[in-house]
Amino acid sequence: MLYVVLFFLIFSLYLYVVLGGADYGAGIVELFSSEENQKITKKTIYRVMGPVWEANHIWIIILIVILWVAFPVYYNIMVVNLHIPLTIVLLGVTLRGVAFVFRHYDAVIDNSQKLYDTMFKISSLITPIFLGMVFGGLISGKIKVVDDVTTLTFYEAFVAPWFNIFSILIGLFFASLCAFLSSVLLIGESEKENIYIRKAGIATIIVFAIGLLTFIYGYSYDYIFVHDFIKNPYSITAMLFSGLLLIPLWITIKKGRRILSRFFAGLQVFLILLAALLAHFPGIILLDEGSVSILENIAPDSVIKVLGITLIIGGTVILPGLFHLLKSFKMIKILEQNNNPSI
Amino acid sequence: MENLDAARLQMAFTLIFHIVFACIGMVMPFFMVVSHYKWLKTKDKIYLTLTKAWQKGVAIFFVTGAVSGTALSFELGLLWPEFMKHAGPIIGMPFSLEGAAFFVEALALGFYLYGWNKLPEKFHWFTGVIIGISGVASGILVVAANGWMNAPSGFDYIDGEFLNIDPIKAMLNPAWFTQALHMTLAAFTATGFAVAGIHAYQVYKGRRVELHKKAFKIAITFGAIAAILQPISGDISAKDIAERQPVKLAAMEAHYNTEKGAPLYIGGIVDTEHQEVKYKIAIPGMLSFLAFGDFDAEVKGLNDFPEDERPNVSIVHYAFQVMVGIGTLLLFAGVLYFVSLKKKKWFTTNKYWLLFVMLAPMGFIALEAGWIVTEVGRQPWIIHKVMRTKDAVTPMPGIVFSFYTYVAVYTILSVAVTWLMLRQIRVLNSSN
Repeated sequence: MLYVVLFFLIFSLYLYVVLGGADYGAGIVELFSSEENQKITKKTIYRVMGPVWEANHIWIIILIVILWVAFPVYYNIMVVNLHIPLTIVLLGVTLRGVAFVFRHYDAVIDNSQKLYDTMFKISSLITPIFLGMVFGGLISGKIKVVDDVTTLTFYEAFVAPWFNIFSILIGLFFASLCAFLSSVLLIGESEKENIYIRKAGIATIIVFAIGLLTFIYGYSYDYIFVHDFIKNPYSITAMLFSGLLLIPLWITIKKGRRILSRFFAGLQVFLILLAALLAHFPGIILLDEGSVSILENIAPDSVIKVLGITLIIGGTVILPGLFHLLKSFKMIKILEQNNNPSI
Repeated sequence: MENLDAARLQMAFTLIFHIVFACIGMVMPFFMVVSHYKWLKTKDKIYLTLTKAWQKGVAIFFVTGAVSGTALSFELGLLWPEFMKHAGPIIGMPFSLEGAAFFVEALALGFYLYGWNKLPEKFHWFTGVIIGISGVASGILVVAANGWMNAPSGFDYIDGEFLNIDPIKAMLNPAWFTQALHMTLAAFTATGFAVAGIHAYQVYKGRRVELHKKAFKIAITFGAIAAILQPISGDISAKDIAERQPVKLAAMEAHYNTEKGAPLYIGGIVDTEHQEVKYKIAIPGMLSFLAFGDFDAEVKGLNDFPEDERPNVSIVHYAFQVMVGIGTLLLFAGVLYFVSLKKKKWFTTNKYWLLFVMLAPMGFIALEAGWIVTEVGRQPWIIHKVMRTKDAVTPMPGIVFSFYTYVAVYTILSVAVTWLMLRQIRVLNSSN
């Protein structure tokens, strides 16, 4: 049953990275667009994301619940040592969610739209950066686990793990990955295809550049994670495959095969995530001395068993619903175009 | 400010905020589907307009409830890591089910909001029903987790370790049912009266009277029925607390000395120094009767408990008085509404509408007061008789800054949402 739970943990992490990521990315793409394109993007985001964006963000709740139920020690280290960036993420999630609804549901369209837009765009950028920094903090090897935190300075215990160049680079990497995902998604949805193709291209270059920089920096400053990553054949293979997939991705984009291109982009992100998780598996939190294994420090069997069953039942209810939701509204769009463009 | 106090205040503040939005997001879908049903049945355009207006409200409140709920799911750990480290696995069951229910709600909301003229009529309506049902299910599950803190079960506590964990027994703890019933009725009462009050104000001002009267009737019917049923649930809760958490009951009543045939205090000012309640109305034997169904039963007083195991008596007592007082008021208002259905003339008087305008915030005040009773009443424990709140708090200093940030952000949000609702109503009134 532990593997069922682990599967759902990684599954919801992946879906949050891809679906939630594309969602954050939409705001980032909008932020870096010309004024005219911003308007188009805003409309497209609403049409494409509107029905599903709330569902996209529930994956993080599922993720956090699995963590605290099944891996309490893990969760504990995260919430104690990474309190500050997590709080910033939460504020970002709150402001972003609210801004999204406000700008689409405000009954009066006036200048306040500008405020909502700014709030939406800025929090779309900040939130994934700090989410990435949280992950960066977990693998930075700077977390110190001691019995009594008061023996450490505030900086050592609560700031150093996430506020360092390596973690910030990971944060920027994740944000650019979001922009990449979103651009690929939007290519298939917009009537003016060209603007997103260019953006997807730029995003790819940025993802690559920041990724490379993270490696060079991590390698030269002896970050254990980077050294382990390079030595781990699975991680390296997954990373190389992810890079190679750029070729079919661009071919499918050029040919206008929008579903297939999304599939490739999703697969790329899956491989990147897999590479990162495998680098030091099963130790996913790297401390200043050693690491915390995800296969140890778990909740008792009785808890894991019940959680596994709950997740299987929940999954069988939710997933068909989610697919149906995604499918219905895609079909609706095609129906609209064919039959009645005025609705 | 001490770290513990800051953490408690932040938790209280974010919960107070979240509860309002979560309740509205949970109950308003029911109003919406009733109106939607009437539109499908009667094809009266007014019901369509109303349904669409309410759906915007549902969307805005759902999101505010959802994001503040996401924040809370993290805050549990961010503020109380020691608590979550041990309690997380035990009460994970209701939380993971809640996650599933919430997910279903979000999916249904997606179908409903974007499904107009696209989905088959009946299926579309039904997705609205699903929003309501899964919302109520989420609420019940979260309250079940809170129930566990009051009635910890499903584990053995041996030498500071939590052993033999049974997550299902923990979820179905002795407090879950009474608390969930009380809270669900409270949510319907509070939201019913709040929404009805807003529409009553529009009728009072003479704006789109026909539409707002219809809206008022739908909302108040839910609110009134729930308010009339609530005393029964309150009675079950009181008897339950008398048995399981006698110190909480004693604090609710500011009852210091153990006695047989204990009187019930109404109102009054608590004098903690002299351990008495001044200027109260006392009904002899009534507390014994309400707690144990016997006018002569013995009710334990606060002095029977060690001083470091008692909650803050004044806060709990006042909050309890407010809750019961308003509850009674709304019960009468609920009856009044059903009487007014027979006396149609009342609907034309301004006083009638003004009364319901004044009652609009009352349900929520009572609901928050009720949560203060149960949460402050549980102190100094975070898990009743197992873990103290001060032992659960985060070791990170400076929580006070996080507290101020939340206060600022949530205050702005509350103002913004209120302002947005006013704009909705204004546009609704000017359109035709």
